[in-house]
Amino acid sequence: MAESEEEVDVLVQRVVKDINNAFKKNPNIDEIGLIPCPEARYNRSPIVLVENKLGVESWCVKFLLPYVHNKLLLYRQRKQWMDRDALIDITCTLLLLNPDFTTAWNVRKELIQCGTLNPEKDLYLGKLALTKFPKSPETWIHRRWVLQRVLEECCPRGTGDKEQGGPDSQARADRLQRVLQEEMKVCSEAGGRYPSNYNAWSHRIWVLQNLAKGNVKILHDELSSVKYWVSMHVSDHSGFHYRQFLLKSLLGDANCFLDKVAPGLPCSPDEHCAHLSKGEGTSAEIQRTTVLDLFDEEMELCTDLIESYPGHETLWSHRRHVFFLWHHWSKEHCPSSGKISLLHSSEGTTGSPQRDATGGRTTQAMDVDAVLDAGKQGYTQETKRLKRGPLQDCGDLLSEHRFIVKILKGCRNTEQSRFANAYKKWLDSVIELFIAEDPREDEGEDPAGLMHQQPHCSAYQVLK
Amino acid sequence: KRLSFSVGGTQVKDVVIKPDAPSVLLLDKHADYIAAYGTKKDDYEYTLSEYLRMSGIYWGLTVMDLMGQLHRMNEDEIIEFVKQCQHESGGISASIGHDPHLLYTLSAVQILSLYDSLSVIDVDKVVEYVKGLQQEDGSFAGDKWGEIDTRFSFCAVATLALLGKLDTINVDKAVEFVLFCMNFDGGFGCRPGSESHAGQIYCCTGFLSITGQLHRVNADLLGWWLCERQLPSGGLNGRPEKLPDVCYSWWVLASLKIIGRIHWIDKNKLRSFILACQDEETGGFADRPGDMVDPFHTLFGIAGLSLLGDEQIKPVNPVFCMPEEVLQRIGVHPEILS
Repeated sequence: MAESEEEVDVLVQRVVKDINNAFKKNPNIDEIGLIPCPEARYNRSPIVLVENKLGVESWCVKFLLPYVHNKLLLYRQRKQWMDRDALIDITCTLLLLNPDFTTAWNVRKELIQCGTLNPEKDLYLGKLALTKFPKSPETWIHRRWVLQRVLEECCPRGTGDKEQGGPDSQARADRLQRVLQEEMKVCSEAGGRYPSNYNAWSHRIWVLQNLAKGNVKILHDELSSVKYWVSMHVSDHSGFHYRQFLLKSLLGDANCFLDKVAPGLPCSPDEHCAHLSKGEGTSAEIQRTTVLDLFDEEMELCTDLIESYPGHETLWSHRRHVFFLWHHWSKEHCPSSGKISLLHSSEGTTGSPQRDATGGRTTQAMDVDAVLDAGKQGYTQETKRLKRGPLQDCGDLLSEHRFIVKILKGCRNTEQSRFANAYKKWLDSVIELFIAEDPREDEGEDPAGLMHQQPHCSAYQVLK
Repeated sequence: KRLSFSVGGTQVKDVVIKPDAPSVLLLDKHADYIAAYGTKKDDYEYTLSEYLRMSGIYWGLTVMDLMGQLHRMNEDEIIEFVKQCQHESGGISASIGHDPHLLYTLSAVQILSLYDSLSVIDVDKVVEYVKGLQQEDGSFAGDKWGEIDTRFSFCAVATLALLGKLDTINVDKAVEFVLFCMNFDGGFGCRPGSESHAGQIYCCTGFLSITGQLHRVNADLLGWWLCERQLPSGGLNGRPEKLPDVCYSWWVLASLKIIGRIHWIDKNKLRSFILACQDEETGGFADRPGDMVDPFHTLFGIAGLSLLGDEQIKPVNPVFCMPEEVLQRIGVHPEILS
């Protein structure tokens, strides 16, 4: 085994070379890992390539890491020169071993800026690092920087509609599309490798906000593609939160797509959306029927999962959020509400939402057009109803209470009962409170109330 | 090591505290553990964590100060180190040769505040650095590469408050951005639209406390979510269906303290959980009972016990996670709801 400083140097340089040769030999490496192996055996390289997996024998890491670590820091302090190829090799080894070494990613950002390093190659390195360190915050942060860069390259400043349609424009659109799809795959994989992976799922939201702004088709595709995933990961709160984000975006909440990240972002949402495959329109145009279907489907999924997998806090938390979104949406878009209820398959009814004209006792098919036309009148109806005093009707709330009763009846799972009771309490206090008084009114301005982000004017504000 | 137990057929994500788990506070052991930690500089682990060294030093010094043992740390060496980490831009890096970042700039300012030695760095340049990271929408980038996160909003205002220079940035815009990250459950995420997370909630309530805007939090709603983090073992998790963890116990507890709802959780059970995370042999606290200890969890274990009213430890400030007496000395009084 290597002992002297020179021997270590020789050994380490050989290993760094072996790693980079492995990538040249097989450009399809898709996973990295550490092979537990306390001592060097035979006179063999500690780098093992089997099919598409790259392994490093653990004995060499204690030599390898300090060496590449110190070498990069000497370079950063301008105490030792390294050429660009050497920098690429050293940072690659370093980041595969320690992907939270921020400064090493920054060196690679500089290499991208001067054109030495291809952004897609760098995204590939990050993807490999995430196979072993799926949470690594610095890897995700670096990816966002690289993606921003790719976006700038795909939507160069000053190119507007006139230039679209040319071969260059098509190539750029294809590139952006490829990067976007690959990014979703990277997020899925990292989400699968570590439960409730906050960094992976919040990154996925960022990708939607920045690379696919408001593209309804992508939002719909995402909603259906993660449906199966969440059904198989019923305790993954981050996966469910992602669905909540998608739903909220599809409802046309402009704040989901605030253009807040990079003031230097080269193109407006419309411009770079045009580079992506066209959606059926903007989220604002979405039809009420579609919204009702969305909610109905989500509540059905939630009911189904709660019944099939009792005792999961995540599912009950998801129900709160979806109900809250539904409740708020129906207040604004169907102000005569309380009268539209979501009926769930568990209650023996399937299909489209029903309108409950008499507070939950009889049901008939909902007249969507009438609701649409009700638009402005609704405020006065709502005003009258609220002025009458406390709530007299609330069909959607009723159906939730029925659901709770059904769950609690004969429930032998203590956790399930606890969550059902907590949900009841939440409905009774948070939702009822929300109905009874707008929290915004407390402060006399627009503070962060329950739904401070809502850009729409609610019935409550009209009442003020 | 990570346990779950079965209640009526459901896997509950929690730990079981064994009857022989530590139940008294082993202060001397913890002080010895921290004092010895920095001496093993050839350690492989030490290299691996160099990218966050400045924060590591802040954790170690703060926990030693809370235990009344700050004198055991090498003040001169540490101050010299911090000085060497300030860059031309004014920002401070995690260690020598690393790039500057807001996270380590705050840690450095906290360290120098503990030692009452802020004058050893160029304070005006630090202020310029922080100011330069504010974006048009009020948010803060962590460094010149532009990543946005509510954590950085906290770092920015905490750094400036400790330097008495909060008025150099656009506070209204900064507040507006943080409020955009508030969710329907009263919590906060890293960016607008992101999931509520106890660590981010700590940063955002701390931010609103420093900027005097706590009235814009729905304290009952947020308190509700935070209380639901307590598990049967007494420990707190950071999000639904995650395991309890000493560091999340701090973030949730400190947030509850800031919004005046600390009495909403079972303090005795939480105390037992934190005590069970001590290592009786090596000293120090781990994330959960039986795991490996580290300085990070040791600080948050001790700080948590301080918030719970342990009189062997100095009172800790829930916003800055520093001894109250230090903040009194420099005249910083973040808002706390009652």
